[in-house]
Amino acid sequence: MITRRSVLQGAGGAAVLGTLPWNEAFAEFFERSQAIPYPPESLVTACGICDSACGMRVTVKDGTIRFIQGLPEDPHNEGRLCAKGTSSAYIRNDPDRLKYPMKRTNPRKGLEEDPRWVRISWNEALDLIAEKYTEIRSKYGQEALLAISRGRPPWFARLYSALGMERVDHNDLCYGVDIVISNQTIGRHTFAWDLENAKYIVLFGWDMVARAKLSLSNRLLHAKENGARVINFNPMYTATAKFADEWHPVRPGGDLAVALAMIHVLLKENLYDRDFVSQYTNFPEYETQIREHFEKYTPEWAEKESDIPADVIRRIARQFGSTRPAVAPLHKKTLAANYENAAPLCHAIAILNILAGNIDRPGGHYFPRTFEIPGLDAIYRPPAYPKLPAKRVDGREKLPLAGGYGMFSTLADGMLNRYPGRVKFLFWNNYNLSSLPQRRMMEEALKTVEFMVLVDILPMDAMYFADVVLPSTMFLEGSDIIVREMAAKSPFAVVRQPVVGAPFEAKSAAYIAIELGKRLAPDYFRKADGSWISPSELLDEQVRRSGLGQNFADFRKKGFVAGEKPFIPATKFATASGKCQIYIPAFAAKNYDPLPNWRPKRDLPSADYPYYLITYLPAAHKRNSTQNNPVLFEIDGTPYVHIHPSTAARHGIRDGARVRVRSRAGEAVGVARLTETIRPDAVAVPHGLGHRSPWLSVAGGKGFCDNDLIPAQTIDELVQHGNWLGSGCIMDAVVAIEPAV
Amino acid sequence: MRSYGWLFDPKRCIECSACEAACKQWNQVETGVNVRWRRVLRQESGTFPNVQVTAVSMACNHCENAFCQKVCPVRAIWRRDDGIVLVDTDRCVGCGQCHIFCPYGAPQLNLATRKTTKCTMCFDRIEQGLAPACATVCPTGALQWGEWDAIEGRGSDRLPGMAYPRQMRPHIRFVTEPWRS
Repeated sequence: MITRRSVLQGAGGAAVLGTLPWNEAFAEFFERSQAIPYPPESLVTACGICDSACGMRVTVKDGTIRFIQGLPEDPHNEGRLCAKGTSSAYIRNDPDRLKYPMKRTNPRKGLEEDPRWVRISWNEALDLIAEKYTEIRSKYGQEALLAISRGRPPWFARLYSALGMERVDHNDLCYGVDIVISNQTIGRHTFAWDLENAKYIVLFGWDMVARAKLSLSNRLLHAKENGARVINFNPMYTATAKFADEWHPVRPGGDLAVALAMIHVLLKENLYDRDFVSQYTNFPEYETQIREHFEKYTPEWAEKESDIPADVIRRIARQFGSTRPAVAPLHKKTLAANYENAAPLCHAIAILNILAGNIDRPGGHYFPRTFEIPGLDAIYRPPAYPKLPAKRVDGREKLPLAGGYGMFSTLADGMLNRYPGRVKFLFWNNYNLSSLPQRRMMEEALKTVEFMVLVDILPMDAMYFADVVLPSTMFLEGSDIIVREMAAKSPFAVVRQPVVGAPFEAKSAAYIAIELGKRLAPDYFRKADGSWISPSELLDEQVRRSGLGQNFADFRKKGFVAGEKPFIPATKFATASGKCQIYIPAFAAKNYDPLPNWRPKRDLPSADYPYYLITYLPAAHKRNSTQNNPVLFEIDGTPYVHIHPSTAARHGIRDGARVRVRSRAGEAVGVARLTETIRPDAVAVPHGLGHRSPWLSVAGGKGFCDNDLIPAQTIDELVQHGNWLGSGCIMDAVVAIEPAV
Repeated sequence: MRSYGWLFDPKRCIECSACEAACKQWNQVETGVNVRWRRVLRQESGTFPNVQVTAVSMACNHCENAFCQKVCPVRAIWRRDDGIVLVDTDRCVGCGQCHIFCPYGAPQLNLATRKTTKCTMCFDRIEQGLAPACATVCPTGALQWGEWDAIEGRGSDRLPGMAYPRQMRPHIRFVTEPWRS
């Protein structure tokens, strides 16, 4: 809040107010005041919409949520929130929410069929699932089981392992490739970037500002406040570009060429951080190979692949090499577009950061300092888990270098063509069909499943294929201890507590997992003394062991705990050699490029499909999970197709007209938005719309789904193309556009 | 009597629309009927590749000389002692005069009730010692709220493309300074 008094204090008294430079007289206003007033009776909790998990203060009145604001003490979001967290009460109170366990009575599955749900009790539902599981397991063996779910909460991870179920999640569509590369190059994958202390920031498509991921977008803002220079490569001008000093509309997939050429210049002109590189990296061992390898990637060559002029690349590389600290941050799916060349790109960007000497140094890519919260398995040791089948449905075993993640992009092909009819029992937890590439193929695959369990909070599309539906709770109704790593320079833990009770008969994930575990794999859900493990005891134990308080209730009273850890830069890295690895010997041993090589993206423009497809994530939505929130849908619910006016004129498309976008995978119809902010050879569509379930009263049947345009993959394709780290290519498509009548 | 006002810094706005979501949450504004007391407006200028995008979060600026109040035929709009301009929905007949005369698009017709509604500067929050909902959550400090005598006269009174506010005297100022380089 701005008051007269604070202005005068900030400017050092009224007399000098007029003589100060204008900027400083104003600086007072923009000291991001931590003193945002909040009602004293409000409860502390942590948001659960995205991984930032910002601290919140929730005002509850008469049992309903009145207002949600940020937690002022939280260094993560600095007391503020984005639209998603602010309006999360609308998700909690959504009239469409699943209320009771239900079972299907219509055996035919599909989005055009009415499942004819019948309400059943929790016990009935759990018993039915247990019975079906036992029957299928004894009849078809372990290979017939599959879980489509994240490994969180850890209860589910334990359940799947105990039941011997193979698990698939979205990591190949997200940052899976980066996990592997990070583990090999710097020893650990982290999202922590110390942008506020960096002086030179190169963003390869990094777009957290446009996505309003506060823990990261605010870091860029502080960097600007501290006078950093920001360079942004992105085919589309987004909100991030507004904060950049230079925006370069790179050709989609061409950022790899730019990164390679930058490394070329850094090595040629010896502009790297010599102390760091000679002491802490394997550069000295492989120097000749590395220098020789990047010899061919000149800026002139990169200009042909990226449309960025060679002298610009050279200038940026020189500035990057001579300014300290310099950093090139990466993030998830938007890290630099999830194309087929994501692996060399992540590797090249990792090398840029290593050459800049910023690994775990101020102003660079650091390892988060967080509280060590012991996991479920550390507190309750499970017996040995059954072995998983050697041949996975998604075929990942063919990619020995890929990390321990499942693959959404090859799953539909695996279920339909490679192993038709293999999956009989499917446990589907909190995923949306529209997040899979070519979801119609997945829909066909789901029809072949004999028995499917679905755990969700809203009646999303996948419900049409489920046999049993279990309503689960959301983050405003659960308990947890939240430590984040996105901006963790010193440890900070926030409590997540139920601010309101669960509606109707919704139950927590822990309840579902433990109750199923009791029925199906009791040995894994017992403590050493034979009694059942319980989520509340686990939380108490976690709080005790990590020193956050005496028990969870005590920690809950505190709301948050800030720790102190001096920032001592790492000198040992968790790689095979104990050093940062520019050259990756583990890859060389498996006949994969130990250094990043140029390769184009998978789909390139052709006569039939002349335009690149770009997907972007609207700031008001978390991917495809928040569309049914009426506030957010009103802010951003129109399925815009962004086209450059010159391109639109060629096809006779007017602003606001309906436009059909076609790719080799399918087609979608949206509303044309003519804009100068996009390359003329690209078309941008939002991600997340296009839910088809009519039970979603706000978002159902509205808009189109970008994943209808993204071709799915087969595992053989990946092997053939040399996509060894299993990038899901969730943005890799080319399209044609035409007016839709 | 103290009065209040907004301060907006367009270069810090990340177009996240948290202000709009917070406004709807606190004031329980009806959704789905396109009533948006506070909304983020976006304007593009220039041609590829030299484009510029300006975003402004706009709501009622509680003008000292409010045109909406002047033109209302049934005197449904009034200005409190602390400068907050409010609509008396009991009196409003939904004629839409205020919509025509407001250069900021603040008064909005709720088609469901046929009444004009608009931003109230969260006067109920101010009375509790809190800040308006939008300024409470704005993640970058682009939108700030405070006492008008601290904001008055600083920065600029309009952004390019906006109405000249000399007559209305709105309680909003804009920062037009670029980033320190």
